[in-house]
Amino acid sequence: MSDDVTLSVRNVTKRFDGFTAVESLSFDVRAGRVFGFLGPNGAGKTTTIRMIVGITAPDKGEIRYGFLKNGQGSSQERIGYLPEERGLYKKMRIVDQLRYFAELKGLGGSDAVKRIDSWLERMDLAEWRNKKTTDLSKGMQQKIQFISTVVHDPDLLVLDEPFSGLDPVNVEFMIEVLDEIKARGKTIIFSTHLMETAERLCNDIILINKSRKVLGGSLREVKEAYGTNLIAFRGTNAAAVLADRSLIAKVVSHSDEQELHLAPGITSGSLLVALIGAGTSISKFEVKEPSLNDIFIEKVGGVPSNADAAARAVTPV
Amino acid sequence: MQKFLAVVKHEYKKIVYKWAFLIGTLLFPILGAGFAVVPALIFSIKGEPIRIVVVDPTGRIYPRLVENLSAEKLSEKFDKAIRESGRDSGTFEGETKQSAALLASGFVWVDYDAGGKSPEQVRKELNVRAVADEIDAYLIVPQNIAERDARFEFRSRKAGDFVAEKTLDDALNEAVRSERLAEAKIDRKLLDELSRDVDLDAKSISESGEEKDSDMLFIASLVIGMMLYLSLTIWGQVILGAVVEEKETRIAEILFSSARPFTLLFGKLTGVGLAGLTQLGIWVASLLGIGFFLSLQPGLESVFKSLPDITPIMVVYFFLFFLAGFFIYASMFALIGSMVTTVQEGGQFAFPPILIMLVGFYFCFAVIRDPNSTLSFWASIIPFFAPLVMPVRILAETPPFWQIALSLVLNGLAIAGLVWLAARVYRIGMLMYGKRATIPEIWKWIRQA
Repeated sequence: MSDDVTLSVRNVTKRFDGFTAVESLSFDVRAGRVFGFLGPNGAGKTTTIRMIVGITAPDKGEIRYGFLKNGQGSSQERIGYLPEERGLYKKMRIVDQLRYFAELKGLGGSDAVKRIDSWLERMDLAEWRNKKTTDLSKGMQQKIQFISTVVHDPDLLVLDEPFSGLDPVNVEFMIEVLDEIKARGKTIIFSTHLMETAERLCNDIILINKSRKVLGGSLREVKEAYGTNLIAFRGTNAAAVLADRSLIAKVVSHSDEQELHLAPGITSGSLLVALIGAGTSISKFEVKEPSLNDIFIEKVGGVPSNADAAARAVTPV
Repeated sequence: MQKFLAVVKHEYKKIVYKWAFLIGTLLFPILGAGFAVVPALIFSIKGEPIRIVVVDPTGRIYPRLVENLSAEKLSEKFDKAIRESGRDSGTFEGETKQSAALLASGFVWVDYDAGGKSPEQVRKELNVRAVADEIDAYLIVPQNIAERDARFEFRSRKAGDFVAEKTLDDALNEAVRSERLAEAKIDRKLLDELSRDVDLDAKSISESGEEKDSDMLFIASLVIGMMLYLSLTIWGQVILGAVVEEKETRIAEILFSSARPFTLLFGKLTGVGLAGLTQLGIWVASLLGIGFFLSLQPGLESVFKSLPDITPIMVVYFFLFFLAGFFIYASMFALIGSMVTTVQEGGQFAFPPILIMLVGFYFCFAVIRDPNSTLSFWASIIPFFAPLVMPVRILAETPPFWQIALSLVLNGLAIAGLVWLAARVYRIGMLMYGKRATIPEIWKWIRQA
């Protein structure tokens, strides 16, 4: 395991009652990067995350942590976990529960209080310090929960759907905070079904479906591997070239431009040459990257959604 | 270890630093004090004496009545009652004199001349004097006291003073009876001598040969059994609520990512147990305090002399068995809490441990009746019942030390087994949302590595 790898998941399998939740899954998470953990509901994301944060153990394979030299010490104290299903003690003061969570992560005493206060300040929640959870709005509770995830300054942050339930202003705010954390060399894993968010934040991704890895790597690699065979085109006098099936497999017309699907073996360059040769006047010629959403739909064959969250709720750990 | 202590501290503070705990804890001693101390204080306040007129045309009842209500006569009567109850009257001498004097001073005899007035006129005049607050009551003695239909009229403005009325009634009966005996020429002393009760001395004998009064022992044992039963039920429910809260709010997920489930569960049990111990400590201390206060009250010393002796080692045993019971029942409640989804659902499933506790509580009665029976032995040894039964048995009749030690060891083993079982269900059940676990599922979790 090289030095820049924070987390290494090796051939991990987890079964429940004959049902395989995760099947020989392997991936590495590099230090100081944002790692997107993508997949439809029921794919095995939560099961994998629970194994990473040490709630359950894999049946087969192993999980190694780069911050544990020679595997010594407790990984749990170096990880901050924000579960998808969030909760706080209803009738306890905010500062008291944050202290408790910090203490369980091995951070106690005045040090903990100092950090809690500075985080409350940062989140603009200082005046709620001595209030109870029930006095706070849902969004505020989300932020409190986030503080409990980062208060012990973990090396690895594992966030399960971190933006659900936040308004757009707070989403931007949280992204800003995550950028700061990343800038300090911390590693962030987050799972989401919002492909736009993943596309914007992630350096690396993994897509799993039906308990297996579908694809993975850096965002760039993934997109390149998926291919850049889409051209957004606007121009006149191109009918002959567009009709040539040896060059273009398919044309999809939009209101003011056309989407050209390159035929196999044809590069964007050779199409451009053909168009110029045909005397086309080009006002737009853009190689379009596939969006993560496109890749998701292509690979998983469904729209990412949260509709069956209830069904997954009873999935065993 | 550090995490375990964090959990213990968290659970303890969560309960003890609450108004509900303070109120609940103080309510018991305050109610106890209310029932024990306040009546003692009120009865020690002397009421207004009754000013009473006795109209006695026979002239033979009035003097006897006044004599019967004198301090000397009342004191004599009390002494006799104590002797008949089988106790040594010597120890109560000061008290009986005191209370007799108190009772006697409650009557002031007002003179009234009824000479030549008709009964109606007498009544009218006395009613007027009563309304004018010159007298409080009057008694009209009929002419024909020896006959069956003789009617004594007692009219009083203080109809509610039942203590005075009862005393007067007794004294009047006594007076009339002795008058009738005198008329029939029967010697009063001889009659008393012949109609004396037999002396049945009812005391239980402990193994060390001491004698104890069984009434007070029964009450004291019942109080101990009740206190244990109530505490175990209450604290079991607290555990159930705390476990379900962490499951319902999904806090369990964060907790499990920070510490081992066993550490969390055992820390929770210990923290809540310490809170229970705190409450019980306050209760025992206030019980001793109330007892001490009452023992200083005149007239109640006798009750305390008959109380069973409570030695410090008994208090230690009491707390040890409370802790054993707590861990046994609390781990059962924790197991139930981690298999249900809401507190209400947990309440429905709480009946098995409560039923077992109730059976244990009923065994206490058998133990009080016969602390050395085979049933008492087994009930105070077998885990589940022992934490309720053994303290009662120790109080009633301390068994040999090996039995207490055996009971503690067996309960310790039961605790180890139950906590292990509860931890296995807890670590999986706490992450199962949406539906209640079935018994086969729980069996599977227990066997799962």
